[in-house]
Formats: sequence, C-alpha cells, structure tokens
Amino acid sequence: MTSDSHAAQASHDGGHGDHSEHNDHSGHHVCSFQLFAGVFFALLILTIITVAVSRFDFGGFNMIIAMAIAAVKASLVMSIFMHMRWDTAINNIAFLSSILFLSLLFLFILADYSTRGDTDPILATPSMQMKPAEYYQHDWSGH
Amino acid sequence: MSEGHHDLITIPAPEGFVPHQVAHHFDSVEKEFQSCKLGFWLFLATEILLFGGLFAAYIYYHDLYPESFVEGGKLLNWQLGALNTVLLLASSWTMALGVRSAMLSEKSKMQGYLFVTFLCAGGFMVVKYIEYSGKIAHGLLPGYFFGLEPGSVYAEALGHLPYPNLFFSLYWTMTGIHGFHVLVGMILIAWLMVGGAKNRFHAGYYMPVEIVGLYWHLVDLIWIFLFPLLYLVP
Repeated sequence: MTSDSHAAQASHDGGHGDHSEHNDHSGHHVCSFQLFAGVFFALLILTIITVAVSRFDFGGFNMIIAMAIAAVKASLVMSIFMHMRWDTAINNIAFLSSILFLSLLFLFILADYSTRGDTDPILATPSMQMKPAEYYQHDWSGH
Repeated sequence: MSEGHHDLITIPAPEGFVPHQVAHHFDSVEKEFQSCKLGFWLFLATEILLFGGLFAAYIYYHDLYPESFVEGGKLLNWQLGALNTVLLLASSWTMALGVRSAMLSEKSKMQGYLFVTFLCAGGFMVVKYIEYSGKIAHGLLPGYFFGLEPGSVYAEALGHLPYPNLFFSLYWTMTGIHGFHVLVGMILIAWLMVGGAKNRFHAGYYMPVEIVGLYWHLVDLIWIFLFPLLYLVP
C-alpha cells in the first residue's frame, strides 16, 4: 500500500493492495483523462469512416469492411472503457467466452447457407441445389 | 481480518463520505468487489447471447433477401442513426470518466459526468421517439403489422421486393430491445446519482458505479454493430 500513484486510493482502501502502473490486472486501474479522451476521439473518427465507406460500392466487401470497423470500435470500448485490459483473467474469460460461442453460431449459419446443395452429389436434386432464397420463391405447384 | 463470521467489516471512507459496510457473507471488500464484478460479467455474457441470436437472424435473412434489406435500410434516416451513435459514444466516454472520478473520491465530478451521461441517454431516446413515430406513420412496422400505403414512396421502394417486412421486424426487435436497455440504464444512472448525493461512493467502495458503467458500455457496444447493420445496410 505504498505506491505513490495510487496513494489516494491506497490510503483508504480495504486491502486493494499495491499495483504497479504497467502490470495491473487487479480490476482497480485508474486510467488517465487523456486516454479516455483519445479513445472517444478515435471512436468518432471510426464512425465517420463507417459512414464514408458505406457511400461506395465494394460489392461483398462492404459488409466485411463495416464489421471490421465495428470490431475495432468494440475492442476499444471493451479494452479501455470497460477496463478489460487491466481486469482479472477470470472476468475476461467469462465475457469473451460468450463472443467465442456466438462466433461458432455465426460460423455454422454461414457454412450451412453458403454450401447448401453442393456438399453431397447424391442429394443433388433440383431443390437441394437451390439457394434458400430460390427455394422459397420457387413455384412448387407443379406444371 | 475475519476472526468469526459474525464480524462485519466496515471500510473507512475519506472525509465527508459514508463508510461502506461489507456484506456479511464476504471476507473482505476486495472479495465482495471481485465476486460482484464476476457475476456482472457473466450477466453481460448472457446479454451478448441475447442480442447474438438476433444478429444470427439478421445474418441469415440478409443473405436470403439482400435487396429487401438494402432498400429497407435506405428508408431509415442514417443522419438520426449517426446522431444517436455520437450521443451513445459520448455517454460511454462520460460514464468512463464518472467511474474514474468515483475511484478517485471526486464526488462533484462524478455527479457531473453521470448527469451528462444521463442527458445523452435521454437525447438518444428522444431521437428514437422521432424515428419510431415516423416509421409507425408510414406503416413500416414489424411482421404482421407491416403495411405500405399503395402508391406511396415506400410502396414504390419496397413493393416489388420479397418479404420487406423481415427487415423491419429485425429493426424493431433489435432497436426495441436495445432501447429498453437504454431506459434501464437511465434508471440505474439516476440511482447512482442518488447514491452519489448521499456520499456513498469513494475510492474504498465504488463497485455499483463500476458495474453500472460496464452495463452502459455494453449498451454502447451493441449499438456500434446495430448502426451500420440497420442504417447503412451493406
């Protein structure tokens, strides 16, 4: 409880202990005003880029670019605003595991959608070769 | 520190603040802090899964009917969406500063930052109200309630496309659940301001401020993805 930088906190904390500035994974890190301001500024710039990019047509890449920028913004918010950078490992694992399992859900949805009809030659009937959109819009009344 | 489980621990507070009494089932204020925080991170994980299901639905139906989604998205007002993005980012910033002030026992600064956060959240809901009333007036409603007036610009834009109501079902569900979270966040921030006025939060005990802060940043996090997906449909 002797750290100068945390004197204000340590003088009346209930055993939060001594934390060095660079290796603080206690969940009690105090960020500087400038760091938060910098993150906010970066988030604004990235929002402007998001809008600007949407004005151009990059085909299928528009979605990838938009989601990549959103992911950068999200990681800034998580690591700095939510203090994950300085949080305990168990808290980070608890939260990030939800994102891991969510990406599994997304992965299998995309794998299903994009490979329908071309995985098994035995099942290569007309309906199985159709993408879902064609399948639902097809006139199955039969003529 | 803990000679018996009936001993209550009181955390000394800086001048002018109320000392915090650790709940009887915790050995120390640090254990109390870390337990509450882990519990809250687990709650936030379930929030990710709640919105994740809706994002999964979005991915699937966007793949099925990309044109309906692109044309539907053009009927949303992206300027209002961008304004709401800036409001939420700013509120996330002031919330982070509010937590910082609580950690440094700076009461009046914390109250100020929380108040600005509250105002930004209120501004967000006002913009949402303007948007929602426009959508209701034009029949751009979810699922069964979706109805375009024949001959209107909306019917012109969407009439020839398959299932244009799907986009608006997702728009209303995703922004609706998100907006509900904003309202809950406003109640929680107001609650923090009451506690702050009663001098409850200081360097020795700021856990409620920290946890509401995490919740508020998650609300911002979800919106970061909703804005490009709904207002600038790629």
